[in-house]
Amino acid sequence: MTQPTNTHKKGWYEVQHRVAPYLFIAPFLVTFLIFGCYPILKSLQLSLYATNGPKSHVFVGFSNYRFLITDPDFRTAVWNTLVYAFWSVFFQLPLALGLALLLSQKWIRGRAILRLAFFSPNLMGQAFVAVLFGILYVPQYGLVNRALHPLMPHLIPLDTKWLQNPSLVMPALVLASLWMYVGFNMIYFLAALQAVDQDLYEAARVDGAGPWHQFLAVTVPGIKPVSVFVLITATIGSFQLYELPYLMLNNSAGPKNAGLTIVMYLFQNGFVTGDLGLASAIGWSLALGVLVISLGQLRLTGTLRNEMQAGKGGKAR
Amino acid sequence: MRAFPYGKAAFMFVVLAFVSSGMLFKNAATSRAHRLPAGARKVTFWVFADTHYEAYKKSIPAFEAAHPGVKVDLQLVSNNGLAARLQNAFLADLDVPDMVEIEISSSGTFFRGPLKDIGFADLTERIHSTGLWDKMVHARFAPYTNRGHIFGLPHDVHPVQLAYRRDIAEQLGIDVNKIETWDDFIKVGHRITQLNKRYMIDLSDSGGDNLETCLFQRGGGYFDPDGKCILDNETAIKTMCWYVPLVAGPNRIGNSLGWGQVLTKAVEDGYTLFLFCPDWRSRSFEKDIPRVAGKMALMPLPAVQHGGARTSTWGGTMLGITKRCKEPDLAWALAMHLYLDKPQLAERFRQTSILPAMSEAWNQEAFHEKNAYYSGLALGDSYARLAPDVPFQYTSPFIGVAKAKLGSALVACVQEYSAHPDRDLEPFARAELKRCANDVRTLINRNPY
Repeated sequence: MTQPTNTHKKGWYEVQHRVAPYLFIAPFLVTFLIFGCYPILKSLQLSLYATNGPKSHVFVGFSNYRFLITDPDFRTAVWNTLVYAFWSVFFQLPLALGLALLLSQKWIRGRAILRLAFFSPNLMGQAFVAVLFGILYVPQYGLVNRALHPLMPHLIPLDTKWLQNPSLVMPALVLASLWMYVGFNMIYFLAALQAVDQDLYEAARVDGAGPWHQFLAVTVPGIKPVSVFVLITATIGSFQLYELPYLMLNNSAGPKNAGLTIVMYLFQNGFVTGDLGLASAIGWSLALGVLVISLGQLRLTGTLRNEMQAGKGGKAR
Repeated sequence: MRAFPYGKAAFMFVVLAFVSSGMLFKNAATSRAHRLPAGARKVTFWVFADTHYEAYKKSIPAFEAAHPGVKVDLQLVSNNGLAARLQNAFLADLDVPDMVEIEISSSGTFFRGPLKDIGFADLTERIHSTGLWDKMVHARFAPYTNRGHIFGLPHDVHPVQLAYRRDIAEQLGIDVNKIETWDDFIKVGHRITQLNKRYMIDLSDSGGDNLETCLFQRGGGYFDPDGKCILDNETAIKTMCWYVPLVAGPNRIGNSLGWGQVLTKAVEDGYTLFLFCPDWRSRSFEKDIPRVAGKMALMPLPAVQHGGARTSTWGGTMLGITKRCKEPDLAWALAMHLYLDKPQLAERFRQTSILPAMSEAWNQEAFHEKNAYYSGLALGDSYARLAPDVPFQYTSPFIGVAKAKLGSALVACVQEYSAHPDRDLEPFARAELKRCANDVRTLINRNPY
């Protein structure tokens, strides 16, 4: 058996080093092409067909999209999703930030346990939370009514039907989602708060800034990137709402479709009635909507402008 | 490991890949070892109701004994999971069981698309040639028939009665024998209902289940035999206008707190006295509300008018044989064993309280036995007496949408009536039901199949 020469060894290693990166990304790339790119392109194609499962399909052009514009159920689903996303994010972020600020105070005892306690609902999953809140919201005997009725006897009767009254379904969903996600977003804000330079607070105090001014002038700018990230991920998450209302409302969209969300509507059309074409059109409409709203948020928070300026600056350098 | 050129992490990935591959091969070998012996035949059968599952588990050994070499693989699958997965498996030509039981509200969705795409075998010829058509309650074939083809055997009849707290009714001086029509019932209801404390009947103001039962009793429904939506016909409008004041406004006599534990508590506390009770639900009450054993009783549904039908229907199950079933004759034999064998049906009734669709079976001893939970009533007889009057109901692939629309119309009418109890509800109900029916028609018209 002959020993490989040094030149051979060197050449073999060079080949390995050239090929190795591609080999390492190959599993992801192949998987992504098969399970990511292909379904995306296929769904775009499907959205132009009326289908009965994958076997039977008839080309209908943009008819599915045109139907969605006039479909009252789709309008309800979009409206419900927007309302949920707005109120969920509207309450979620200030509450998460408030909790993070509170639990970053050194004078609070048992901070680690409290952080775990607030974060733990997120570990349960939406299915469990849905079942749990389904029981809490029960009229006449549920904990929510039992707790609130003595405080507001006229406003909240004992038989208040949180999940059967169309005007109460959305508040009930938002409340359940807050319980689940506030603690989760609190963790992001805690991490962001710890990353704010403490010297800046020192400097602000020297300049005579009180706690409120310190918060406005130091904390808010310091946690802005994380806030934008949380805002966008929370919004996208809200647009993907499905399991929570579906299970809380007993496998339905609730009274008068009050809990119908876009993803639930997509599921019903695609996997219950078998119209994959319409479901694909709903999926693409959702993706487009999320894209527009996310870009709008980036623009409103100034992040998009900063990123573009940084890009130009980078080129200039 | 030191010689591995890409470091520890990459080495660990390679090791994990080998270990997991090894486990997969081992599992494959194990499953091969568990395969049936050569020459053995297997029928895979999915059911969604645990009561059916338990009953079949007991009767299948007799079938296997009568058919040497045959193994029945009975599987209990969640109803929602079953409907959605089976539908998609049919459409995508994936592996499906040989036989399946489908809940009535899902059955219509399997009949969407061209006839060739329907995953169930057409049983029409078998049903007529074996004389089954004459042995079963005809009304129960209707929901499982599409474009003139019968795709399912009816498991049941599901006549509806009213279950009630006999002890409280007696205390309150309610004589159920004097209640013949809904007008009689409502009159008593107004006397004994105390808002937020005690209601005459468990009736939903937000879902269409109870309304649907009332609609069927009046000869209405979601679709006609041709699959056309009839949600906005005069029967539906009249039923809605009659139903809404029962659950809304100051003179309401009905309320519903929901299902499960809350219903158990409501019945135990006497919060609701009367409840719609198809045969399948009579057993659910026995299991879920055992504390009121001996205090419950059943009465026929009040008639719409004197001499009218004293029942309606709620729920149902069909048994279908899939087109991919390799041994349809064997599957059919099993279906006959489970659905037509009289001793099996008697035993099944004892376990489930569900009246089978084959009327010849109703004269057996099991159907005359007195039930202690319902104050000594002969449960089988009480339902069998009503079975011939069970109304027809027709389904469509769009049944799910139609049900949701009826529920929406109900909620809208309840809101309208709660806000304006003195206003005539009819024009509003008419417009609302028309809007809902038109939504369903739009979907039907979009369907190119």
